Amino acid sequence: MQHWFYSTMTLQQDSIKTTVHVCSLTARLPAQTQSPAVSSGGRRSSECIIRAVVTSGITFFLSMMAATLCGKLLPKQGWLPVTQSVRHGSKAVTRHRKPIHILKQKLLAVTKYVPPTPVVPKGAYPSERQEVKEESGFVLLLKRELKKLFQDYKMVAVAQNCNSNAEDMRILKHRLHRHGIAVKFFPNQVMCSFLSDSVYSNMAPLFIGPTVLFVSKEPKVKEMLTSLRSSPQMTLLGACIDNTLLSAQGVVSYSKLPSVSVVQGELVSGLAMMTAHTASMLQRHPAHLSALLQQYVKQQSSEEAPKAEEAT
Amino acid sequence: MAATLYTAWAVGGLTGVCRVNGHQQGPLHCHLKVLVAGLQTYEIPPDYSDVVLPAKPKLKFVNKVPNLKKPKREPKKLRDIQGPTRGADSFTQGQYGIVALGGGYLHWGHIEMMRLTINRKMDARTMFARWCISGPYKPITRKGLGQRMGGGKGAIDHYVTPVRYGRLIVEVGGKVELEEVKHILTEVAKKLPFPAQVVSRESLAALKKKHADMEQNNQNPWTFKQIVQGNMLGIRRVVSPFDVHHCGRFSGKFHFPGRV
Repeated sequence: MQHWFYSTMTLQQDSIKTTVHVCSLTARLPAQTQSPAVSSGGRRSSECIIRAVVTSGITFFLSMMAATLCGKLLPKQGWLPVTQSVRHGSKAVTRHRKPIHILKQKLLAVTKYVPPTPVVPKGAYPSERQEVKEESGFVLLLKRELKKLFQDYKMVAVAQNCNSNAEDMRILKHRLHRHGIAVKFFPNQVMCSFLSDSVYSNMAPLFIGPTVLFVSKEPKVKEMLTSLRSSPQMTLLGACIDNTLLSAQGVVSYSKLPSVSVVQGELVSGLAMMTAHTASMLQRHPAHLSALLQQYVKQQSSEEAPKAEEAT
Repeated sequence: MAATLYTAWAVGGLTGVCRVNGHQQGPLHCHLKVLVAGLQTYEIPPDYSDVVLPAKPKLKFVNKVPNLKKPKREPKKLRDIQGPTRGADSFTQGQYGIVALGGGYLHWGHIEMMRLTINRKMDARTMFARWCISGPYKPITRKGLGQRMGGGKGAIDHYVTPVRYGRLIVEVGGKVELEEVKHILTEVAKKLPFPAQVVSRESLAALKKKHADMEQNNQNPWTFKQIVQGNMLGIRRVVSPFDVHHCGRFSGKFHFPGRV
């Protein structure tokens, strides 16, 4: 018959498990029934102490443990497991964060989430896709106005106005209106977006800063320049006259050009000069004409004579 | 002085009352400066024509105690807090709601707080609110003060509703945007016994998608699932079956958002 002996039992408050140290297992042989008084007394007293200490749950568990171990065949006689764990601590669901076993901590550290690193850091290069912003109705309206403007008006001049107050503006507008030149204001953003789509894309660099448009149906450049000379705030940047882009100097030289009618007149007169000259000569006195012809013949003969001399 | 007066008039009344040099008048044609006021683009406000408000928009009163003939004492079963929800994690009628980001028990006090706060602060004409949890049904027992251990299970003290991670608590909808409802719901969410967040339909979908994306683009060659399912290094010794199922994302009632 075998008895379990439990000499000490320690309850560690910090640990989850309670370790029960089993010190000795003695196999009580029939020869040893009359054991010395001291040892039997010691045994009995220890049993009493332990019975007092052990709670109902633990005794139940220990008896179960005893039953299983006694039921199983022990590997060899006198063999006892050194420590046996009894779980009675916190449950799976606690209010506090439960301490994690070191091996599980290592597992969690190894299997952490690793985000993908971008090859190119954000913001290093500008995005390939251009954000297409939907234009509001007002912007579309302005663009339609601009389209009509470029169709109707032959001259579209761009100037920059710095610090012109209302009075100056009013006077300038009055002066220009007398020559049929209108003053228009358009936002630069709308202007640039319109120009980028249209034929006049090269005009886009002109529209920086506070700009004003001078438009007229007939290219009245001279009058415009005279009006602008009077107002020092306005600086002419460029113009688009008859679908030709001109810089400021180009506009000035354009203004110096004679008008179309004058040029046409000159051309016609140049072409008709010979015939007109002949006609005028014929209308003079015939004596004059005969004298001229005689002079011409003399010249011709004088030319032929040296040529014949040279030939011979 | 005339110039300043003129400027004031010009800026104020840009439609142009008097004829200025026989020019075209109108809202587009300003004779002084570029009009930029109309260039501001405004977002079109949302269309609520298809939103139907229920007859009783406010949160209903919830009983403290379920009416049972014979209330039975139940074991603690803390696993009704553990892990993610098995249902009730998506919107049904409302647009905005509170989602639980942890497990916990809601008792009648919490439910009353939510009901009173939301009913007081919401506008019944434009929005409605709906419970996504049932009333308390789980009995919690308590022994009398100063009693020793033993002597049987205590008497039923109160009832609670268990809530898991990912469950919607309350839904709000109607002809409103999130910003109008957010301050009410955050006030309530702060007072709940578990971490909670105010979500809309889109943000809840975004949360779920974020987790799915994290799982997809995880650069770590080792995953919790792979190691534990294969019992590498005998790690099953320290990993519970619950962790095996939920891949280390939950521990008790807590949820770890960084885990994948």
